[in-house]
Amino acid sequence: MEASHPPLHRRILAALSFRNISAIYIFVVIFITFSLWVPDTFLKLDTWKAMIDSQAVTAVLAVGLVIALSARAFDLAIGAELGLGAVLVSWLLVNKGLAIPVAIGLTLLVGALVGLVNGLLIVRVKIDSFIATLGMSSVLLAMIAWVSDSQQILGLPDGFQKLGTTEILGLTLPVYLMLAVALVVWYVLERTPAGRRVYATGGNIDAARLAGVRVSLVTVGALVSCGMIAAFAGCLVSANLGAGDPTIGPAYLLPAFSSAFLGSTQFRGGRFNVWGTVVAVYVLATGVKGLQLAGAPVWIPDLFNGAALLLAVGLAKYEATASRAGAVARLLRLDRGRGGGMPGATAAGSAR
Amino acid sequence: MSRLLEVRGVSKTFPGLKALDGVSAQVGSGEIVALLGQNGCGKSTLVKILAGVYQADPGSEVVLAKDEAGNETSLHFIHQDLGLVGSLSTIENLDLGRPLGRRGLLPAPVRAERRRAEELIAGFGGDFDVTVPVEQLAAAERTIVAIARALDGWDHPRNVLVLDEPTAALHSAEVDRLFAAIREVARRGAGVIFISHRLDEVIELADRVIVLRDGVLIADIERGAYDHDDLVRLIAGEVGSIAVAHEHAPASGRPVLSAKGIAGRTIETLDVDLHRGEVVGVCGVLGSGREEVARVLFGAAPGSVAELRLDGEPIASRLGPREAIARGIAYVPADRHREGAVLTMSVRENLTLPRLASLRGRLGSLSGAKERAEVADWVARVGLRPAEPERPIGLFSGGNQQKVVLAKWLRNDPKVLLMDEPTQGVDVGAKAAIFELIATAAAAGAGVLICSSDAKELSLVCDRVLVMCDGVLAGTASRPSLSEASLVAASLGTRPDQAPAKGGVPHGS
Repeated sequence: MEASHPPLHRRILAALSFRNISAIYIFVVIFITFSLWVPDTFLKLDTWKAMIDSQAVTAVLAVGLVIALSARAFDLAIGAELGLGAVLVSWLLVNKGLAIPVAIGLTLLVGALVGLVNGLLIVRVKIDSFIATLGMSSVLLAMIAWVSDSQQILGLPDGFQKLGTTEILGLTLPVYLMLAVALVVWYVLERTPAGRRVYATGGNIDAARLAGVRVSLVTVGALVSCGMIAAFAGCLVSANLGAGDPTIGPAYLLPAFSSAFLGSTQFRGGRFNVWGTVVAVYVLATGVKGLQLAGAPVWIPDLFNGAALLLAVGLAKYEATASRAGAVARLLRLDRGRGGGMPGATAAGSAR
Repeated sequence: MSRLLEVRGVSKTFPGLKALDGVSAQVGSGEIVALLGQNGCGKSTLVKILAGVYQADPGSEVVLAKDEAGNETSLHFIHQDLGLVGSLSTIENLDLGRPLGRRGLLPAPVRAERRRAEELIAGFGGDFDVTVPVEQLAAAERTIVAIARALDGWDHPRNVLVLDEPTAALHSAEVDRLFAAIREVARRGAGVIFISHRLDEVIELADRVIVLRDGVLIADIERGAYDHDDLVRLIAGEVGSIAVAHEHAPASGRPVLSAKGIAGRTIETLDVDLHRGEVVGVCGVLGSGREEVARVLFGAAPGSVAELRLDGEPIASRLGPREAIARGIAYVPADRHREGAVLTMSVRENLTLPRLASLRGRLGSLSGAKERAEVADWVARVGLRPAEPERPIGLFSGGNQQKVVLAKWLRNDPKVLLMDEPTQGVDVGAKAAIFELIATAAAAGAGVLICSSDAKELSLVCDRVLVMCDGVLAGTASRPSLSEASLVAASLGTRPDQAPAKGGVPHGS
């Protein structure tokens, strides 16, 4: 306790504790349960391949959300941002006939612009991030309907569709792109001064400002990156489906939030982090998949993701109070060590 | 006059600090008692023990007297912030504390409630619209609402009202209205304990004063047996030989910071000159403007500086925190939890936050090894305990948190170090360590400005102290004539707008 570096075995034990990697343990339980329940389908390699492929987009989106949440900005428009990206890139390719890199570049730019508007609403107009992005999400849904005429945009070029379907070593390209995005975001958040400032802004905006952090810039920057990554996730969705679907966006909102919050309880002791979030995406997806294979009704994913979000946030809160209780307990021990004792019952017990 | 509340031999020990030591006192019916003493003398500890926030040490006794009918005295507390909901009206605020019972879901009897509220307020000399949100009322009116709420629904006459610095936020004209209300409370048979730093008000209002110093009861004297100077002497203590904590070269040459015409919400105007290696204090009671000086200079609070020079170079625009830091100014705020530290982050991350550029490694990343080595060095230099830089700073004691906050600024080699209440909530051991760090910074050439309500500390640490009163400079004391007593006397000075004639009005009994 007094040493700055606890012994190795203690550190390994702490790293393997339930509090640190609960999602891994939950995954093991889910895995064993469904292996026994529906072994024929659950244990097939194709099931797993399909799940890893299909969840890559959710993981990209959740990683983007981690940036915003780390700066304590709730981006509730993230589902609609994905939807806009999906429709916009299709519209640019099919209706405008733009080249693939140009269409993707423009889509990312629009995603960044949406994030910029979100950020300015929060830091300049001083609207709470919750409300600002909630309003923005409705505006974006309207834009999606307007651009797409509420119709699926079909006839995407083959080259673009390859982006979502090319297989490397048995997994599709989006999985690798997701890992690349996660790697970059992890590096920036945890290994650069910029990331340190994002966490400081999210942790205590007043203290960060007084320490010379440009907190408005950090908040806007976080939302711009988040919007851009959401638009990129939208491109991946369209490439994978082979069509621009105007209804797809909102369904991604809740899984992204559940994963980011569950992820925050992993590895970094309550801090939003990239790898915890990626793990959480797949743990939740495994649960949903297992239930589906076991013949659960179609509304199960909604129920599962909603319950997971509440559980994850509850867990994070519990953890916060638990560590606080730990600190109090230490203080009390210290107090007793100094020769205090149980106070007299007459003292303050009768006041009030 | 029957006795309502008595404390006997109340002590309270915190780790490393005896906050109260065998204090005995009582309050009678219809009596207004002033509780006086400097910051950290134990006043608030005593109030918190009465309120049940703290438990007193074993052997302490708090006795709430009973009358013949068996009614125990009830205590009512009004804290400085009053505890009102600003967006609700007087009527609604008065209703908040009342038990609902069956009427909880019935429509509120609007007219009856309004009449009742108006009667209640009028009883304490209030005459204002009870339907507007209380945040739109004057400060004295809000205090009256709080008093009315505390005393609303007395089912028996045995009550003691405790007011913690009720006049700190009031203009002198409003003080009179509040005093009328307090006298009315006493006239109805309650006991009143009130805490104030403004001695002229105490002399005007109190039937008896109780003075605490360093946790010990110094005096318990009746009205008329003391005057202003007596109180100052009792509060500050006799002027003894004060050990000089450290020696500095006398201030000379061009000041490192020179600010003329500092103005803020509570500062009317103030000039500050700070030389290299000099430790200057700003002292004053709450509301004197003292608590805003450093914030305005650092650009952390709204306000303005008419003419600002750093190292003789005029600064045209008003500084914000970022520009101030870039120009070598550091600011240690009073509220560590809200402004001083990011509690969820580790000591290491807090320590390096203001200056990360020097830790840059390859690919724009932070060099972990460089950062850990530098942090380990600072942890050793400030004597952090436990010496665990990876622990969240929120889990450290107040004193150790403050060491980290100080270290994070000293790491920048500041030219100017601004501090608000640097030892607030800090235990004795850490206090010494913090003063040592301040002395080291000054010796290294920084100009240090300490804004504090603790006159004793300022008199020990500073070369020169500016005393503020009601937003302006009330006096300056420098070595060797610098003493705790002189600072207290100057900061408690009678305000010029309080006509002495008013002080003589006896309290109606």
